[in-house]
Amino acid sequence: MTRTNIPDRIELRRGLDVPLAGAPKAELDETAEVGPVAVQPLEAPGVKPRLLVKVGESVLRGSPVVYDKTCPELKFCSPSSGTVRGVELGPRRALLRILIEPDGRDRALALEPMSERSLEHAKAEQIIERLSSTGMWALLRERPFSKIPNPSVRPKAVFVNAMNTAPFQADAAVVAQAYPEEFRAGLWALRRLTDGPVFVCVPDRAVGVFPCPDDPAFHVVRFAGPHPAGNTSVHIHHLAPIRPGEVVWTARAVDLPLIGAVLIRGEYPAKRIVALGGPGVREDAARHYRIRLGSPIAGLTQGRLGAGDFRIIAGDALSGTAISADAYLPMTCSSVTVLFEDRERHLLAWANPFTRGFSWSRTFLSAWRAPRPEAMGTNRHGAVRAMIVTGLYDRFLPMNIRLDFLIRAVLAQDWEEAIALGLLELDPEDVALAAYACPSKLDLVGIVRDGLARLAAEGV
Amino acid sequence: MHPLLRWLHRWKPWIGPEGRWRALWPVYEATETFLFTPDDVTSGPPHIRDRLDIKRYMITVLYALVPCILFGIYNAGYQYHRALGDAAPLWRVWWDGLRFVVPIIVTSYAVGGFWEVLFAMVRKHEINEGFLITGILFPLTLPPTIPLWQVAVGISFGVVIGKEIFGGVGYNVLNPALTARAFLYFAYPAQISGDSVWAVVPATGAVDGFTSATALAVARATPAGTDALQHLAQAGHTLRSMAVGLEPGSIGETSVVAVAIGMALLLLTGVGSARIILGGLFGMLTTGAAVNLLAKASPALASAHPAWSVPFYYQLVMGGAFFGIVFMATDPVSAAATNEGKWVYGFLIGFLTVLVRVFNPAYPEGNMLAILFMNVMAPLIDYVVIQAHIRRRRRYLEGFAHG
Repeated sequence: MTRTNIPDRIELRRGLDVPLAGAPKAELDETAEVGPVAVQPLEAPGVKPRLLVKVGESVLRGSPVVYDKTCPELKFCSPSSGTVRGVELGPRRALLRILIEPDGRDRALALEPMSERSLEHAKAEQIIERLSSTGMWALLRERPFSKIPNPSVRPKAVFVNAMNTAPFQADAAVVAQAYPEEFRAGLWALRRLTDGPVFVCVPDRAVGVFPCPDDPAFHVVRFAGPHPAGNTSVHIHHLAPIRPGEVVWTARAVDLPLIGAVLIRGEYPAKRIVALGGPGVREDAARHYRIRLGSPIAGLTQGRLGAGDFRIIAGDALSGTAISADAYLPMTCSSVTVLFEDRERHLLAWANPFTRGFSWSRTFLSAWRAPRPEAMGTNRHGAVRAMIVTGLYDRFLPMNIRLDFLIRAVLAQDWEEAIALGLLELDPEDVALAAYACPSKLDLVGIVRDGLARLAAEGV
Repeated sequence: MHPLLRWLHRWKPWIGPEGRWRALWPVYEATETFLFTPDDVTSGPPHIRDRLDIKRYMITVLYALVPCILFGIYNAGYQYHRALGDAAPLWRVWWDGLRFVVPIIVTSYAVGGFWEVLFAMVRKHEINEGFLITGILFPLTLPPTIPLWQVAVGISFGVVIGKEIFGGVGYNVLNPALTARAFLYFAYPAQISGDSVWAVVPATGAVDGFTSATALAVARATPAGTDALQHLAQAGHTLRSMAVGLEPGSIGETSVVAVAIGMALLLLTGVGSARIILGGLFGMLTTGAAVNLLAKASPALASAHPAWSVPFYYQLVMGGAFFGIVFMATDPVSAAATNEGKWVYGFLIGFLTVLVRVFNPAYPEGNMLAILFMNVMAPLIDYVVIQAHIRRRRRYLEGFAHG
């Protein structure tokens, strides 16, 4: 069986749209600037940061402040002009963040702008150099292992993810409409990085929303179906699965304006678009916001949350990372989801078939009616148990993977079996939905994350 | 805070990790989380979790067993009064049924629960809700006349050897309830099997003894050259009586109707694997039909073995196979884990059940042995399915030419 023709629509059935309340509306709003901004190089996987500036030094927007010791071309830049106020160190004196006090003038370091026409014929090296020296290279990922791409190899394909099936991710259409030229420039840049195809994976309803250039290398593929139909691993699996020895590069459509901006705008971008959503967000405030890179998270959340004990998550509720209320916006963060910490205890709830509230399982009568958006909290809804129910995880992953056996192989550290079963096709985020559904409350995300980390460290 | 919870929390200083009675912590923890959902929040992605947990999963099985339990109680009283030959009022039938069945269930839960708690305390793990099911499934596979000490010995064997030595629920190879029953079956065959399975000796002494064989034993004992169905009917076993379940037999297994209600609940909620149940029923009926064909093809054999001519659908209503396939074979821990494997696993249980029933000279009922045997074989089935899956995956990856 040989597949030469690429489909333009793929329909997936397995998965689940978790009916979380507080979906961000497809509107764009501005945020006020608050406090210092931060450069946080440790967010990028595998980076060993070294400082390029001193405390007290003044920097411009786009001035490099950190470089990566393992790949000195990769630099991370200040998102605002101002003075370096301080350096925060993490465990083992790793550079956690460099704080920059904005001077209010926001002057930018001049870069040489490229025209869209010249970008169409630019060399890969030119683009790699510009993206590395501005830190935008760290927005791209290489599969397997989702690491920062090795610029010396050519991927067999590039995947651009313009979907937002997880609760909640930024709507790429909002971003593309706000920055159409940068978006297109970003696509061209990716096109120059590979000799293979560039797959732009879009939601089923999005026809013609994305300004995709007219070039045979671009393939716009619509993915229909519930979450995780929007996950990059799923796209790769159905369009160009990775065979041994191959790599593909991946990008998120919501990051393309940043990549495009450093190429065609002649200066480092000041802001990005972040979606704010979740039950903890005031109903009228759940939408997309333009916010300065590296801003305090308070700039996004202040005055926009309801009352209660919150968990702020950089990313979506299934696979994001919990951050504190005084954290700084991570560079790759395109959505912030706010949940309530739910510690309420219910008498004999497990025996009550009439429990209100959503469950995917038909052991709840509520599963028999159409789901309504629900203000879900962080309660685990049960204790951790051994793996008892079988064949369940596969209903939440539309890939040719037997997740039960893959998880067992990883737990048994049988790497050969785990790879044969498809571990390298996965990213931790792909099992987050199965973990959501797991009645034994197992940490599938952690198991897959640790398994991939072990494999990456041992080098396969 | 709920007043009951506040009262429970008052004990925490003594039972908690620093307290004097900390050995009792698993009991306390189990009681508290039994009464109230835990207040634990997620510690990482996913930050939200579904409401389904193992407790609800298990309680749904218990709900599905309720028709079998109720019918079993009624039937125990009914059989008792049938043995006495009196016409007791309905309340009396229920009362005597309860007198037989409740002590068995209480013994099973109490003794099994003791081992469960002991292991939880020594091993310092939580008490598993799987015992909720084992503790009721086991008594339902016993005749109401079983001596209570045998119930205690059986459940001890099932919980300790069948489950805990492997590490508890989720790690066991065999179904613990069936392990317990198999132990009794081989250790004390007189009280559990054979044609004296129902030997009520009323306390009043009005009748000194009454034995009544199960349909399976009757069918098997049909003299050569006679008709098994007639022989069954003479002993009082008609298709209708066996389907309704007012028959001698184990407590929970006699009524096809009650089991079917439970099956419907398991299938509707998705708790019982439809693949295993349908595969099992299909295996049993097709094998039964094949035996019928064999009897038809060779009149000599059919005459020597009248049980071979019992119509295949009788396999479903006789004995405990339907109960076993619906409630025992579907135990997810000891069953096959792959979807294709579940079909094969279910089918072979049905197949082996009939095989043992028809061809094995020693045991009238083959379902228990079929399920235990397939429990052992389940990993092998999964292995074959997974190897095929890995080959298919490799072919899938190789099939992509572009890029």
